[in-house]
Amino acid sequence: MRTVCIIGVGMTMFGRFPQSNVIELGRTACLNAVRDAGVATKDIQVAYAGHARTGQLHNRECGVGQSILWELGISGIPVSSVGNFCSSGSTALREAWLAVGSGMYDMAFAIGVEKLTGREGKGRPLTSDGVELLTVMGFSPPVYFGNVLTRHMKEYGTTMEQLAMVAVKNRRNAGPNPRCQYKDPITVEEVIHSPVIVDPLTLLNCCPTTDGAAAAILCSKEVAGRYTNKPVEIAASALCSGPYEKCKDITSFGADRLAALNAYEYAGIGPEDIDLAEVHDCFTIAEIVHYEDFGFCKKGEGGRFVEEGMSGMEGKIPVSPSGGLMSRGHPIGATGLAQICESVWQLRGVAENQVRGAKVAFTHCAGGFQDTIELGDIQSSAVTILKRGW
Amino acid sequence: MTADNSGSKAKVQEDLVDPKLRPLIRLAGSPSEKPRLIGSKCKSCGEYFFPKRVLCPNCLKEDVLEDVPLSNEGKLYTYCIVKAAPLGFDAPYAVGYVDLPEGLRIFSPLAECDKERLKIDMDVELIVDKIREDKTGQPIHGYKFKPASP
Repeated sequence: MRTVCIIGVGMTMFGRFPQSNVIELGRTACLNAVRDAGVATKDIQVAYAGHARTGQLHNRECGVGQSILWELGISGIPVSSVGNFCSSGSTALREAWLAVGSGMYDMAFAIGVEKLTGREGKGRPLTSDGVELLTVMGFSPPVYFGNVLTRHMKEYGTTMEQLAMVAVKNRRNAGPNPRCQYKDPITVEEVIHSPVIVDPLTLLNCCPTTDGAAAAILCSKEVAGRYTNKPVEIAASALCSGPYEKCKDITSFGADRLAALNAYEYAGIGPEDIDLAEVHDCFTIAEIVHYEDFGFCKKGEGGRFVEEGMSGMEGKIPVSPSGGLMSRGHPIGATGLAQICESVWQLRGVAENQVRGAKVAFTHCAGGFQDTIELGDIQSSAVTILKRGW
Repeated sequence: MTADNSGSKAKVQEDLVDPKLRPLIRLAGSPSEKPRLIGSKCKSCGEYFFPKRVLCPNCLKEDVLEDVPLSNEGKLYTYCIVKAAPLGFDAPYAVGYVDLPEGLRIFSPLAECDKERLKIDMDVELIVDKIREDKTGQPIHGYKFKPASP
């Protein structure tokens, strides 16, 4: 594999855009990325589009990438859809990385898009893909994380206050970021006393329903030099399905541990080298578990990690400086690439909520539930490590 | 009660069970019996699975799995109480994961949704009862665990 760089990124505002559709959202993000990279569209040789729910919600299972790119006048190249739960966008990025890294192509487009507003069952939790037997028995993503939380509290003494601190921190980070769905500050008290969704998870412990798109243009390091003096290198991109473990521990995700381990190993970078992390904070308890699974702190100490400000802007590893899924919102297929956009801006030193002197960024998306009644792991986890290529 | 009557009663009971869950449950045939979940056991490696599988993923053989009734008693591993229900469900309801002695940790609706009466590691017992309603308001049954009688 040769070194691959990101030379352009772009995204839409994230929020509720009931009048929009996935093609318009994708077009805006892609156009922003093309302008940011300063490339000619004819130089893009391959594209991957990540989207997880366009089939179920908008009757567009395939061809989303082709339709978006057609609007930009990009055609006659290999384009495919990448569906991989909440990691769809991250997986599109990884496919693009492999395509350029292998030497087959010099320039690739990675696109992520989703439109979740206007669905049937508005105001109720979005059910998960697959997992039919669990769903008929009342399962949904907040149910899984509610179960994680009850056990984490029992085993490690994690508190509702510590959970709320994740939401408060991510909302504070979102303040200066115009692309976030929610920017107004919130308090620990407000998080704890917001309506209960799945006891013990309250509304402000859950990420919102969001529309949006994000995109990145990748090329070989050699080609990158023609366009920018600040190429962002992809130091590693690891993808892992859930390991099958009998009676697994619900307070830790094997797919995440393996993806992080593989990424650390490939990049030769460890948690101690990371300047900032954008993790999959779909629920506050998820962010706490991620601290532990990624080695930011010891197992069971995730609650204390946030309480002591270690994941804050001035802490050991600022986590979700963009506002995270909790505040930016979570248009499923777009999230992984939104994390890439925000991290590229951090490494360039131009982010609204800038981590001073950031050189290495860690991004993580994960989702999907094992299609069985036995307690299973997350189906897909993607970890990408970016570093300054200058 | 004649055999015919009990047979039709069992049929009514079975008809109430969600069709997707029917292959997973063996209803009690008489008042002295208890309902059971049906899983698979691999004759070759001894591992249990729920729900049933066709292929043992350890042995990669299709003819080694046999249907077995699983223990109807277990321990509550974790739980939560749903207050914002998906379509078809009435809140509040509780769901959790139950550890069975066969080395299985399985998802299950819980018959008790009072937080004060649910405790991690408590003993629980299998029942068959209403889990949700269909679009016309008819009850749909499935398996559940309830706190074990002392």
